[in-house]
Amino acid sequence: MEALNAFTVSLQAVWNDSGFSSFTVGNGIMILVGLLLLYMAFVKEFEPLLLGPIAFGCILANFPNTGFFGEEMNVMKAINFGITNEIFPPLIFLGIGAMTDFSPLLARPSTLLLGAAAQVGVFVALGGAMIVGFDVHEAAAIGIIGGADGPTSIYLSTKLAPHLLGAIAVAAYSYMSLVPLIQPPIMKMMTTQAEREIVMKELRPVTKFERVVFPIVSTIFISLLLPPIAALLGCLMLGNLFRESGVTDRLSDTAQNALINIVTIFLGLGTGMTMSAEGFLRADTLLIIALGLVAFMGGTAGGLIFGKIMCKMTGGAINPLIGSAGVSAVPMAARVSQLVGMKAKPGNYLLMHAMGPNVAGVIGTAVAAGTMLAMLK
Amino acid sequence: MEHSPVTTNPLIIMMINMTVVFIVLVVLMYLIKLIHFIDPTKEKPKPAQVEEEEPLVAVKSEPAPAPAPIIEEGISPEIIAAISAAIAAYGFSGQVKAVHIVNHESTPWRSSAKFNTLRRK
Repeated sequence: MEALNAFTVSLQAVWNDSGFSSFTVGNGIMILVGLLLLYMAFVKEFEPLLLGPIAFGCILANFPNTGFFGEEMNVMKAINFGITNEIFPPLIFLGIGAMTDFSPLLARPSTLLLGAAAQVGVFVALGGAMIVGFDVHEAAAIGIIGGADGPTSIYLSTKLAPHLLGAIAVAAYSYMSLVPLIQPPIMKMMTTQAEREIVMKELRPVTKFERVVFPIVSTIFISLLLPPIAALLGCLMLGNLFRESGVTDRLSDTAQNALINIVTIFLGLGTGMTMSAEGFLRADTLLIIALGLVAFMGGTAGGLIFGKIMCKMTGGAINPLIGSAGVSAVPMAARVSQLVGMKAKPGNYLLMHAMGPNVAGVIGTAVAAGTMLAMLK
Repeated sequence: MEHSPVTTNPLIIMMINMTVVFIVLVVLMYLIKLIHFIDPTKEKPKPAQVEEEEPLVAVKSEPAPAPAPIIEEGISPEIIAAISAAIAAYGFSGQVKAVHIVNHESTPWRSSAKFNTLRRK
C-alpha cells in the first residue's frame, strides 16, 4: 500500500513538473507557428540559416516550466543576454563586413543616394505605425523592417521596443527571404521596358588604397556623428578592413565563416526564444507584419523613383532597376536587379552595378537607426 | 542618456530622419570622391594619343536579337546570373549560348584532373 502511495505521489510530482500541466492553447498555437516557420526554412528554403534557428527557438520558448528565464544562469538565458544587450547584431555585422566588397560603391559613389532613397519605406512605415496607434518608440522599431536588414532591426527593437522583438525579427527576416517575390512586380510596374534595357558602363577599377581608407574614414565620420550606432557600423567596417588589408586573412576568414555562423545560430535561437505565446499572440503582431510589408514595398519604390531621377539626370546612364537594391538585403536585392535586367535584355549584367546601392542600403539603414535612436532614446 | 522624444509628430520625425540620412550619405559620397582624389596609387589618365588611334569608320549593322541560352535542367537562374556576371567582370561581352553541368558524378580523380587542367591554363 505504501509503495503504491509513493508511486502515486511521484507520478503526481512528475506530472506537476511537466510541461503538460501548464500547457496552454497559446503555447500550442505558437508551436504550430514554429513548425510552419521550420517548414518554410528547411523545405521552402526561405532564409534557412536564420529562419531555422528562429523557428526552433519559437518551439522551445513555448514549453512551460523549462526555467529558461528563471533566476539561475543557463545556456538559453546566456543567449538571451546576447540579444537583449545588443551583442549579437554587431558581431553579425563584423561577418557581413568581411564578406562584402565595397568596390562597386567606391567606383560609383553616387549610388549612395539610392541607398538613402530606399530608406523612405522606413519612415513611411513609422508614420503608418503611429497612425494606427503604436507609440513613437514602437513605430520606429517597426519602421526599420523597411530597411530589410535583420541585425539592425533586432538592434533597434531591443533598444526601443524589446517587447516587439519577436514579431519584428520574424517580419524582417520573412520579407528579406521574400525579396525575389515582392520586388519584381514593383520593379516592372514602376519602370518602362526601355529603362530596364539600359546597359550601364563598366565600373572603374578601385585601388587597394581606396578600399582600405574608406572603412576607416567612414567609421570615424559616422561614429562621431551618430554614436548610438558606433558598435554596429564599427564592426561592419572592421570586418571589411580585415578583408581588404591583405594581411589579416585569418581574421577575415574567421569573421566571414566561423564567427558569423556561430553568432547566426545564437541570434536566430535567441530571437525565436522571444516568441512566447503571451508576447506574440496579439493583434499587434498582425499589424506589425502588415506594416513591415508596407515598409518594404515603400523602400523598393523609393529606390526605384530615385533611380529614375538619376537615369534622367545622367542622360540614361543609370538603369533605374539598381535603385530597388537600395534596400539592404545583401546580396539578394542586387541579384533581383540582375535577374529583372536580364529578363528585359539578355546579356544586361547589372549585378555589380546593383551592389553599390545594396551596400549603401546597409549603411543607410544603420544611419536611419542611429538617427532614430539619437532622436527618440 | 535617455530623454523624452523631441517630437511625436510622425511627419516631422519622417522629414528630420530622411534629411539626416541623405546628408550623411551625401557627405560619405564626397568622402569617397576625396579618397579617390588624394589616392597616390591611382593610375594616371592615359594620354590623348589613344583617341587618335580609334578605329576607322566601320559599318555597323543592327545586332540580331540574342537567342535565349540553352540551359541544362537543374541549373537555377541565380547560378546563370552569377556565371554571366563573372564572365562580364572579366571583360567578355559575348552572349552566353549554353550552360551544361560538366561533371554530374565527380570523383576525387576527376576533380584532381580538372583542377590540374585549369591550373595549366
